[in-house]
Amino acid sequence: MTLPLLPTTVVGSYSMPGWLERLKTEYFARRISKRDLDEVHDTAVKAAIKDQEIAGIDIITDGEMRRDNMIDYFAERLPGVQIDHASKRFHYDLYESKVLGKLPMAPLGLVDDFKFLRANTDRETKYCVTGPHSLAKRIRNEHYPSEEEFAVDIARVMNPELKELAKAGAEFIQIDEPYYSGFPEDLRWGVQALNVLVEGVNAKTGVHICYGNRYGKPSWEGSYKFLLPGILNANVQQLTLEFARRGGEDLGVLHDLSARFELGVGVIDVKTQSMETPELVAERIRKALEITPAGRMFILPDCGCLHLPRDVAFAKLSAMVQGTKIVRRELRG
Amino acid sequence: MILQLNHLQGKPAGVTTHEVVDALYALLEEGHLEEDQFAHLRVHLDWIQYRQNFRECVMAIKASPGRQDHSPAFELHIDVRQATPGGLRARIQQTVGELSGESQTGSEPVLLEEFRSFRESVAWEFNRLYWHRLPDWEQFTGRGYEQALPGGKSDANHPAAVADCVADFWTLLKDLETRKQLPEEIFILEIGVGMGTRSGLWLDRFRALDRGRGTQYYPRLKFLLGDYALSTLERSRPAVREHLDVCSFVVLDALNPMKNLGFLRHKILHIHLTNVYDNLPDEEIARRDGELYAVQVRAYVKAEDARRISKECHIAVADIPRTVSRLLEGGPDYLDDRHLGVAFWQEIWRVMRLEERLVNLDDLSDVVLPEGLDRSKLEELVRKAPSDVRFHLSSGALESFRNTLPLLHPRGFLQVQDIFVKSFHEYRLGFHGPGKLDGSIVNWVNGVLLREVGERAGYDVHFAPFRYREGSRTSILYTTQRE
Repeated sequence: MTLPLLPTTVVGSYSMPGWLERLKTEYFARRISKRDLDEVHDTAVKAAIKDQEIAGIDIITDGEMRRDNMIDYFAERLPGVQIDHASKRFHYDLYESKVLGKLPMAPLGLVDDFKFLRANTDRETKYCVTGPHSLAKRIRNEHYPSEEEFAVDIARVMNPELKELAKAGAEFIQIDEPYYSGFPEDLRWGVQALNVLVEGVNAKTGVHICYGNRYGKPSWEGSYKFLLPGILNANVQQLTLEFARRGGEDLGVLHDLSARFELGVGVIDVKTQSMETPELVAERIRKALEITPAGRMFILPDCGCLHLPRDVAFAKLSAMVQGTKIVRRELRG
Repeated sequence: MILQLNHLQGKPAGVTTHEVVDALYALLEEGHLEEDQFAHLRVHLDWIQYRQNFRECVMAIKASPGRQDHSPAFELHIDVRQATPGGLRARIQQTVGELSGESQTGSEPVLLEEFRSFRESVAWEFNRLYWHRLPDWEQFTGRGYEQALPGGKSDANHPAAVADCVADFWTLLKDLETRKQLPEEIFILEIGVGMGTRSGLWLDRFRALDRGRGTQYYPRLKFLLGDYALSTLERSRPAVREHLDVCSFVVLDALNPMKNLGFLRHKILHIHLTNVYDNLPDEEIARRDGELYAVQVRAYVKAEDARRISKECHIAVADIPRTVSRLLEGGPDYLDDRHLGVAFWQEIWRVMRLEERLVNLDDLSDVVLPEGLDRSKLEELVRKAPSDVRFHLSSGALESFRNTLPLLHPRGFLQVQDIFVKSFHEYRLGFHGPGKLDGSIVNWVNGVLLREVGERAGYDVHFAPFRYREGSRTSILYTTQRE
């Protein structure tokens, strides 16, 4: 399928309905079975797919409906990570997890998620995974001599899974690394771990770096200037950053990045329920186009829509698509 | 009969439990209480900490029929601080009689509203008027509102507490600077500024610390003093006169500071409030014998008080409700003579009482919950609470809290000095409001619900005792970011 100019996509997660949150928590309380929860998840993923399709998104995800949060879904799958299952009251809480020995190699079971997505849409798809730096920051390391070595080993274990995803037909894999922004001093080895993760993966890869979205608020503040020059060593094709909430103060950074990467530009603020108009979206895209060429730009929200009510998330994505169409028309003349 | 003793503070009581029980038995034997009534009677003995409050020292509360047969017919609440043994039996008999519609002609109270949630009561209109027309009130009484506080001063201004707060804040700034994450402009917000005393103390202390350590943070400060009354903000200026270059004065609604300060979303490094939450609209829920009830109130003035005010203020008794409405709309100038207007206002406020009733709820889905409070979470908390409990929903405090958090910088923190109930169990240990403080309302705040709302917004909520003054009931709520 040929993508239009300025393809629209999402960062990964879609609005998490209150009823799904309650059912997930019911599962933790052992009041519903795994089988029931799986069926609920399948239904929620189909609904998230449909909403993205109706909104007109060009490249869609499964909405990450199966995930409690961006850390635990992977921590639970990484062989050798010990999880304290009593450590959370609410599904969105983070588990206390730790690693006591070298991580063994084993499949993570992500391919089935992708196959389900692929089977339920004709659109272009993207599959998102949490990156090794973010995982190393949240899983307590009681074995490796350094966080750096721990992150690189996580990447080593996850790399075959990404290759399997590519074999299963995943053409675009996004790695989420928001913790880069909180720990800019780690960028050198964070990128090194990222490169281990994507090595030999036969798919387009991108990295998403925002300032966090836990509970729908930023976890850190600062400037994307920290990305230079370290991020230029990342062996990925695409870089996606948040600009809607933060305004254009860091847009200048795009200039130095656009020669090296396709750029995903965040034009929807997911940390507020205030609605962007298509005109505002178009204006944000035009500003980015002053710095980077349209042929290498993707349009998306600042981060996942997890914390937005469904109607708000849908309306924001719709506005994003409409705003993008305005700019496409202008570019066509 | 169930007798519930809530006054466990060891304070001197005007009547003993024995005297209360004797009075009730006498009324039963004399036929003023029916056996069935007596069997279902629930008597609460409280030592009410606020001398000025909205209750008679003997108050009856009727409950609407519940789904079960054994719902309480009514409750008696006796303020053992103000009740006296001599008149106790007569007061109970009169109160029970009034509840049964047996009051004498001419003794009917003047009603100021129909039954409604406390949140919507006219009492809050009085509270609003007080803050908007504080100078009028103070001029008439001849004393400032801080002098009217218990002890005559506010815990907000305790120098050691302010010094600790400044030290914590300076440490945060230093840490951010070390990580190269310190913003160019350092925003701080004080909501509810009073006379500006705390803000002045805070700024003096911070400037001294900054100069002493040579960190140059003070010139980068943007200190916002926020209050919903322009007159209050004006009064606070002299207290910060040495810091006007770094201060801004902002009229804002404490229920939703985002309305005026939305442009500072995620930018404010420290927000502080003192005794604001205890002065925001509230409502209560009760559980009795497994049934849930909404507590509804109705403001009234007793007949004898109405007659006296009528005489003193030259207003017909029948005109009192309408005059109150106009007072609340237009202030004391509505009456031709401002002096008379303030006198009417203060007198009505002093004698105004709230009649209460319990309205049965099928479940909590019948209640409009403050945004941010998850219904299933509240149901879980109530399930775990003591079986018979009456608790605040703290709607205004929760609304304010939820609408303030988005202003915080990711590394910023919120501090609230106030009176908090920190577990549902505490509600069984005494009366928690509302009371009257001069012309305003004071009410304990449900810290358990604040904790829940905070968690869902990404903050852990902690309570520390106010250790700077012995015997203080104040706690300090502070937030930390949830991982």
